Parts: sequence; structure tokens; C-alpha cells
Amino acid sequence: MTNKSASAAPPAPPKMPTSADKQLLDFALSAELSVHDLYVNAINSGMLSADEKIMMEMFSDHHKSYAQSLNGLLGKAASNTRNEALYSTYAGQLTSAQATNRVLQSVENTMVATHTDILSSLEGLDGATLVASIITVEARHAAVFGTLPSSSLSNALNSAASSLAPNAAPAAVTTETTVAP
Amino acid sequence: MNDFNNLTRRELLKMSGLSIAGITFLASCGAQAGVTASPNIASAGTVPPTTALGEVVISDTVLLRTAASLEYNAIDTYTKVLDGGLLTGDFASLKDAVKRFRDDHNGHADAINALVVSHGGKAHTCANTRVNNLYVDPALKLITADGNADAARDVVTLAHALENLATQTYQGIVALLAEPSLRGSAMRVGQDEARHAVVLAQVLNPGYMAIGPSTDEVTGKAKVASVPSTFGSLSSIQISLGAPNSEGAKTSLSLETPSLNGLVYDEISC
Repeated sequence: MTNKSASAAPPAPPKMPTSADKQLLDFALSAELSVHDLYVNAINSGMLSADEKIMMEMFSDHHKSYAQSLNGLLGKAASNTRNEALYSTYAGQLTSAQATNRVLQSVENTMVATHTDILSSLEGLDGATLVASIITVEARHAAVFGTLPSSSLSNALNSAASSLAPNAAPAAVTTETTVAP
Repeated sequence: MNDFNNLTRRELLKMSGLSIAGITFLASCGAQAGVTASPNIASAGTVPPTTALGEVVISDTVLLRTAASLEYNAIDTYTKVLDGGLLTGDFASLKDAVKRFRDDHNGHADAINALVVSHGGKAHTCANTRVNNLYVDPALKLITADGNADAARDVVTLAHALENLATQTYQGIVALLAEPSLRGSAMRVGQDEARHAVVLAQVLNPGYMAIGPSTDEVTGKAKVASVPSTFGSLSSIQISLGAPNSEGAKTSLSLETPSLNGLVYDEISC
């Protein structure tokens, strides 16, 4: 990518998170901790195949990395506690390998929608670029669940998940219809 | 290994002095020494004239127009693939997926252009010329050249690269867009491109072991991965296409997101 031209450019957005940004990023951090814990539950359930377990260990590590990165950005403003509402909503649904795959795909889609909503409100560029780099990979996680163990194009590409983000401004209205979240 | 801890302050000063003298000498050998060019000194070849980029402003609409142009690169490529019957053999079953991807890109282009217009810009409804010239056209030429036994697989490789390029472009412009709501809109589309990339990655390298990064033990090159990194990458995208040369190697292409000379400025029209 490239740098902006200096001539007649609008004032640059702040680099560091604003106070409002910190609240949203802390929500994102708490959600990531919850998702990490959901994956740990799935991994320890004994219901997964060896292949599924390896995949979920990788995804679990990713969510841990997201939480750590958000924590690093927030510093003292980080609460570092998981979102109990999110965790308890899904934890009881991990009842079989098939259900686990379905539920965790739904969780990933929800995280994509939530982070996209949060991104639409963030002023600081450090937070925005971090969240954007998380969104693309969580979308990949969700799509993997649509391709394995059996491939379903619509399952990989479609999502009807809603955002959980509090007080986040919605993204600018588009007429686009194929991108569900 | 040198033991720099044992150097005295005097030795360090001597070393830095020598470094400065060396740099001064090297600098005096170059054009910056103030020596005027002489017509009596022979030179081989000619220096092509360069055109400096005019005074431009990289506004939010320019960034979104650039993103829209990449959607048309994908739309046009998929149309060529379908119309040219390039998906054959084991890959023929991908036609429905390719049609879906093309439909999605049409939707993305309309959505992004609607944002452009609502922010005072002009919709851009054609492909990015530089992306075509640098990547798509050479890639399609390699794929369709005589003697390429892997044409259908190469098509999927190109499509996978273009989806990753689009993903990276949307992720990359987040750092440049001034209006926060537009960053969310960009990633609403960008995450969809990432899903396309996963579907294609699983075609090129299927199964659970292909989800994360791995290396081909024979070639030493990175294999296609559905989730190649923990965070979305913005690094260049390497692909190999076309008929292998006498040593068995395909031609490599390196794709990068549009830079200053690839943006669709307000003055550019289709």
C-alpha cells in the first residue's frame, strides 16, 4: 500500500486508541478470550477427530494471539476478563463433534460481524489496523468450517450472524447483498 | 564472532572515523559529486523518459475507487475463465463456484461504488489497468500458452491469488481511510474475499493438514494454505504458472496491492 499525499489531505486520524476506542477494543478483547475458552472446551471434550483437534488448536491459538495483541494495545485499560454472556451462550451447545463444528463456525461469523461493527467506530489507526487484520482471518476460520469435513459453498460463504458490539456505529450503508454480516 | 565488548572507546572512535571517510569517498564517485555529464563520455543504451506523478490527493473516494477497480479485475478474469472454457478435467466442477464468486464481486463493486458516489466521488466501473498489465494479462498468457498441461489448475491458482490480493487491498486501505465507517464497510467486503480464497485454497490443497502453513518437502516452497497466518498478511503474493521450463520450473509472479501509481485517482475514468 502507500502513504497519503501531504497536499490538501484531511487531518490524519489519531494513531493511538481514543477513550471511546478503548471501550470497544476491550469488548473485543473479552470476546476473544471467550472464543479461546470455547475452543479449549472443544479440544478437551474428547469428541473431535485428530485432524479436527489440530485445526481447533490452531484456531484457539489465533484467538489467544488476538486477545494478547488487543491487551498490548490497551495496556492498563484492558480488563482481561472473558465475556461471560458470549461464553455461556455457546458453551452448552458443544454436545457432539458435528455440533461443535457448527457452533464454532457460528461463533467465528459472530466475531467477524462484531469486529466489523467495532471497526466502523474506531478512530485510532493502531486499533483499526489490528482489528482489520483479525477480521480477515476469522472469516477464513468460518469458511474452513464450511469446507471441512464436507464442502458446502454456501456454508463457507454465507453468514447471517449479528454483531454483539455495544454502541458501535454501523458500517456505512451499502446496497451490497451477498455479504451477510 | 567478533568480541565488540572488548573494544575500547578509542578503537570505536577510530572505526567510526574510517567509516565516515569510506562513505565520503564512495559518495564522491557518484553523480552527487557535482560532475556534469559530458557528451564525450560514451554510454550504452538510452535512459527512457520518466513521467512524474502529478499532484494528487489520496482521498477516501480514491481508495474506494481503487478497491472497486480490483473487483472488476476479478469479474473480468472469471468471465474469461468461464467463456474460455479454461476449467477442465477435475476442475470443471468449479464452474458454479466461479459464477458465485463473479456474482459476489459484482455485488461488491456496486456496493463500493455506491459508497464512492455517496461521498461525492464518481463510480469506477472497470478493471485496474495496472493490475491487468502487471499480473492478470501475463498470468493468462502463461496459462493459455501451448504446452501448459496444468492450465485448469493454474486458473485456480490465479483466482486464489486475486482473491487474496483483493482481501489485502481492503485490509490495507483501512489504515488510509479517514472516515471510520468506511473502514468497516471495506472490511465487510474484504472478509468476503477471504472466504473465496479459502474455498479456492481447499481446491488447490485440500484437507485438514492444508489449513495452516506448510512447506513442500521436494521444492522447499510454501504450500497453499487456507489460513496462512495468524493475522491478515499484507505481504506480496507469490504464484507459479504456465508450462515448466527445461529445469521443470514454472514462471513466478509476485502480486502486490496497488501503490501510488496503481490507485484510481479522481481524474481517471474507464
